[in-house]
Amino acid sequence: MKKKKGWLSLLLSAVFLLSACSQGNNESANSGDSGNSGSGGTAPAATADSGTGGTTLAPAKLKIVLYGDESNRMKELAKTDFYDVIKKEINAEVEFQFLPWTEYGGGKTDLMLSTGEDFATYTDANYMVKSVAKGLYADLTPYVGAAADLSKTVDEASFTAFQLDSKQYAIPVGNKPNSAEFYSVLVRQDLLEEAGMKQVTSLAELEQFYDKVHALHPELIGYASTDARRMLQYDFTDKNLYWQNDFIALDESAQNDQIINWFESDEFKAYAKLMRGWYEKGIIPKYAATNVPQLQSDWNSGKAMFWAGTAARPFEGAATISQAVPDAKLVNYFLGTGRPKISRGTYSTAFFVSAAAKDPERYVMFFNLLQKNQELYDLFAYGIKGTDYTLDDNGRLTKISTDSLIPDWLLMNKNFIRFDNTVPDDFIAKYKAWDDGAIISKGAGFNFDNTPVKNEETKLNGVFTEYLAPIGSGFSDYDTAFPKALERLKAAGIDKYIAEYQKQFSEWYAKSK
Amino acid sequence: MIQEAAPEKPGRQSLSLKLKAARTGSLRKSLRKDSSLYLLALPGIIILILFAYLPMSGLILVFKNYNYNDGIFGSPWAGFSNFEFFFSSMEDALRATRNTVMLNALYMLTGTFFSVAIAVILNELRSKWFIKVTQSVMFFPYFISWIIIGAILFSLLDYDKGILNQLFQSLGLAQMDWYSSPWLFVIILVLANIWKSAGYGAIIYYAVLQGIDTSYYEAARIDGASRWQIITKITIPMLIPSIILMTLLGIGGMLKGDLSMIMGVTFLNPLLLPTTDIIDVYVYRTAIRSGEFGFASAITLYQSVFGFILVLLANKLAGWYDKDSKLF
Amino acid sequence: MQTTESKGLLILFYACIAVFSAICLVPFVLAVSGSLSTESRIAAEGYSFWPRGFTFETYEFLFGSKAEQILRAYSMSVVVTVLGTLTAVLVTTAYAYVISVKGFKLKNFFAFFAYFTMLFSGGTLPWYLLSTKYYHLGDTLLGLFIPYVLSVFLMFLMANYFRSIPHEIVESAQIDGAGHLRIFFSIMIPLGRVGLITISLFYALQFWNDFYLPLMLVSDQDLYTIQYLMYNMMANIQFLASGNAAQVGGAIIAPPLETAKMAMTCLTVLPIAILYPFLQRFFVKGIVVGSVKG
Repeated sequence: MKKKKGWLSLLLSAVFLLSACSQGNNESANSGDSGNSGSGGTAPAATADSGTGGTTLAPAKLKIVLYGDESNRMKELAKTDFYDVIKKEINAEVEFQFLPWTEYGGGKTDLMLSTGEDFATYTDANYMVKSVAKGLYADLTPYVGAAADLSKTVDEASFTAFQLDSKQYAIPVGNKPNSAEFYSVLVRQDLLEEAGMKQVTSLAELEQFYDKVHALHPELIGYASTDARRMLQYDFTDKNLYWQNDFIALDESAQNDQIINWFESDEFKAYAKLMRGWYEKGIIPKYAATNVPQLQSDWNSGKAMFWAGTAARPFEGAATISQAVPDAKLVNYFLGTGRPKISRGTYSTAFFVSAAAKDPERYVMFFNLLQKNQELYDLFAYGIKGTDYTLDDNGRLTKISTDSLIPDWLLMNKNFIRFDNTVPDDFIAKYKAWDDGAIISKGAGFNFDNTPVKNEETKLNGVFTEYLAPIGSGFSDYDTAFPKALERLKAAGIDKYIAEYQKQFSEWYAKSK
Repeated sequence: MIQEAAPEKPGRQSLSLKLKAARTGSLRKSLRKDSSLYLLALPGIIILILFAYLPMSGLILVFKNYNYNDGIFGSPWAGFSNFEFFFSSMEDALRATRNTVMLNALYMLTGTFFSVAIAVILNELRSKWFIKVTQSVMFFPYFISWIIIGAILFSLLDYDKGILNQLFQSLGLAQMDWYSSPWLFVIILVLANIWKSAGYGAIIYYAVLQGIDTSYYEAARIDGASRWQIITKITIPMLIPSIILMTLLGIGGMLKGDLSMIMGVTFLNPLLLPTTDIIDVYVYRTAIRSGEFGFASAITLYQSVFGFILVLLANKLAGWYDKDSKLF
Repeated sequence: MQTTESKGLLILFYACIAVFSAICLVPFVLAVSGSLSTESRIAAEGYSFWPRGFTFETYEFLFGSKAEQILRAYSMSVVVTVLGTLTAVLVTTAYAYVISVKGFKLKNFFAFFAYFTMLFSGGTLPWYLLSTKYYHLGDTLLGLFIPYVLSVFLMFLMANYFRSIPHEIVESAQIDGAGHLRIFFSIMIPLGRVGLITISLFYALQFWNDFYLPLMLVSDQDLYTIQYLMYNMMANIQFLASGNAAQVGGAIIAPPLETAKMAMTCLTVLPIAILYPFLQRFFVKGIVVGSVKG
C-alpha cells in the first residue's frame, strides 16, 4: 500500500509541476496579448469616433458567439452578405459560432472565458457581476464612443444597468417596451366574455371570473403559474414593489434607499395568505407543487384561465394557444391603478467582450452596427429584401424563409422593428405605448457584489427552495410553516445578507442620485 | 479433470490451487516477459495521464479563489472556505449525506438483485427469439431520459387525474397524495431505478454466464441435479466475483447522486426534500443556483474522498473473502 | 427428462421476463406514439398508446430544413462510433489484460492507477484548457473520441471476463513459450469474445450517445454528430418554449416541446434497436475448456 502511495504522489507532483509550467506559459502569452490590445486599441479610436470607419482601420478578426441553432440561411449569409457588409463598415472578419442555450451564462461560455479565448457574446447583469469579479470581461469604458450610433437608439438606463463601479462591462442592445413585466394579469378574454364579464380590474373580479368559468368548465385551472406577487401587489400593499431578487424588494413609491427584507415583511405575510386561499380554492392546482412545467403546458393548450402578463404576451402567447383553442383571445389587465409601471431599462440583452480579446474596440464597433440604422437592422434581423423577406406598402413584413438569422428578439428595437401582417394595428399601438408613464426602478444599475456574503447567499437559496417558495405559492400554510422557515433563514444568515445588501445599496444610491 | 472438480466447487480457486506447483516454474519465466505487459498498458496509461491525471491539477482550484488574471496557480488561496457553505449548515449536510448513502445503498442492493435475477433466468431459457427480443426490450429504459420517465410517472401518480388514484377511487379506496409522501417516494425512486438499469446490468452478468464452461452444467445434469439446484449451486456462485467487482466499482460513487433523476422524477418538489435532498440536489439548489461553481467543485471533492475511503475499506473486506476479488 | 418442478420453474421464468419486458416497453410505446401526435393534444390530454392526432409534424420540425446537415451528422456519428469503439476496445482490453495477469507484480498498481481516476477528477476547466490549448483537439475528428477510449469501468469489467478464462490455458501456452503479446492476441481475445462483445456494445452506445465531446471541442458544423445536433435543437426548443424570446414582430413558431422530447427518445433508441439483435448472435455459449486444452 505504502509503495503505491509513493508512486502516486511522485506522479502527481510531476503532474503539478508540468501543468504549472504550462500555465505559466499561458499567462505570459495572455499578458502579451493584453499589451497588444493596449497599443492596438488606441490607434483606431480616432477613426471610430469620426463615425464612418472602415478604410483606415487595420484588419481584425472577431468571433461572435450566439446561442441557439444556426440556420442554413444564417450560415450562408455569415459567409456572404454579412461578411461583406461588416468588412466594408469596420474592416473586420466576423466569425459566428453557435452554442446550445444550455451554455448561456456558464458552461462552455465560462470555459472559453477562463481559458482566454478571444470572443464576444451576450449576458445578463447576474452573470456579468460574477464574471467581472473573476476578471473575465474586458472593460469597455474607453470604447463606448465606438457605439455612438447604437447609443442613440438604446436608452441610457440600459447602459447604466451594465456598469460596475462606473465602468462599462457590456454594451446593451435592443429597445423594447418591457416595463411592468408580470404585473398585469393576462386573461383569456374569450372565457371572460363567455362568463358574461367584460373586464377584470380588481382581485375580487378576478376571483369572480374564476368562479364563473369554473362553474362552466370545471376542467380548467385558474392561474398557470406559482408566483403572483407582482400582479397581486395592488391588494396586499400600498407600496409599489419591485423585486431585486427572491429576498429583497424595493418600494418604488418611496424616495429613499431603504431595501425591504421581503420574507420578514408584513406584505409577504399578506401575500402568502392570498396565495394559500388560491391554492385551497383550486385556482392554483394541487400538482403545481410538483409539476411546474405542466402549468405552462396547460396554459399553452388553453386549459388555464389567466397568466402573468407582459407587453408582448397578448400577441406572442396567442399563437400557441390558438392551435388548441382557435378563438382564444388574450388581454392584459392590472388589478389596481395609480402606481406607475416600473422598468429596468428597455434593453433586450447586452454584449460583453472577453478579457483576452485583442481588439475590444472593434467588437464594440460591431455591436454598434447591429443597431446603427434601419438598413443594417433589416439585414441582420431579416436578411436580404426580395430573397428572405418582402415589405408591403404599409411596411409590414412577410418572411419568405423561416430561417432565423441573428435572433430578432435580441436585436428588437422599437425604432426599427417591422411587424408582419398577422399583428393587428391596435395591438401595435398598445404595444408601442406600453411604456408611457413608466418609471425606471431606483435600483436599476445597482449590481450587488456578493463576495462578502457568498456563503450566506448560497445557503439562503437552499432555504428558499425548500421552505419559502412553498409558503409563497400557498402550498404550505403561512402560520404553521413560517416559524420554522424563519428559523432556517436566520440560521443561514439572512440578517448579515440584508445588512450587506443595504450597505452596498445605500453607498451606491448616495453616489448615483 | 475439470469436470470432476466442477460440481462441488466451481470457482477457479480450486483449479489454481491444484496447479500451483506447476505454476511456480513458469512464473519466473513470465516475469522476464513483463516488458511486453508495459507495452500493452502503455496506450491506456497515456490516455489516463492526458485526460485524467493532468487535469487533476485543477483540484487545486477547490482551495482557491479563482480569477482569470492570476490563472489557476496564481489565484489567491481560499483554504477550506469553498466547503463552508455546506458544512456550516450541518443539519442539511448530514441529511444530504444520509439521503445519498441511503438511496445509493438501496439502488445497489435492489439493482444487483434484479440484474442478477434477470441474467440467471435468461440463462435458463431456451427459446432463442424470446431471449433476443426481451433482452433488447429490457435495454430500452436505459435510453429514456429521466425527464420523460418523470412525466410518465406523473400521469400515474397525480393526485386528481393520476391513473393510480383513479383506480383507488373506483375500488373505493382513499386517494394517495404521493407527491407529499417523502418516504413513499423512496420506494418509487428505487422502483424507477430498477426499471431503468436492471436490463443494462443484466447484460454484464449474462455475458459472464455465457463464458462459463458448459461442462459444469452437463456434469450436474448427469448427477441428476434439479434446475433450482443448478442455479443455486453453479450459476450464482459463478457470478459472485462479478457481483463483488460491480459492488466495489459502485461503492466509490456511494456519495455521488444522480441530479437528473431526482429533478426528472420529483421535479425538486420541496415537500419531498426530506428524503430526496441528496448531495447533488443540495448543491444544485444552493451553489449552482447562486452561480458559485467553486463551491460545487469543493463538494465534488468531498464526495470523492468519502467514496475513496469506502472503497479502501470495501476492498479490504473483499480481500479477506477472496484475494482475487480485490480491485487493486 | 425434466421434472414437473423444473418445468413449473421454467414457466415462471418465462412469465417474469415477459412481464418485466412489457413494463420496459410501455414508455417506449408511449414515446413513439407521442412523437407522432400533435403538440397541443399531448399537452392537453397527456400520453397515450395511440398517437393523438396522427402527424409527422414533429419530425418535420426537427428535420425539415436540415436534411443535408442531419445526414452529415449521422454519418459523422457512424464514423466516430466505429473509430471510437475499435480504438477503445483495443486500448481497454490491452490494459485489462495487464491487470488480470496472475503474478504480475505491478498489476495492483495499474489497477489502482486506473481506479483512482474513476473517483477523482479535476473538473472541466483544466480538462478543457489542456484539450484545446495543449493537445489541440478542438475541431478535430480525434477530439470526438480519443478522450473517451478508456472507460475504467469497462476496463475492470473486461479484466473480470479475462480472469474467468481458466488459467491453465494460459499456463500451457506459457509452457509452450508464448509471450504476453501472443497470449493476449491469440488466446485471451478469442476466448474473451463474449466480454469483448459486451464492452464493444457499451462503448458503441457511449460513443453514439455522446454529445459532450462535440459540445466542448467542436465549433465546426461539419463535425457535428447527430446527438449533439439534437441536443442543440432541444436546448433551443426549450428556450423558445420558455417564452424568453419575445417575438412580437412576426408570426411565432410554436415549437413542439413535448413531442420533440418523445421524438428524440425514439431516435436515440433506434441504434440499439438495430444494433443489439445483430450483436446478440455473438452471445452464444462457446467456451469449452476441454476442447482448447485437448
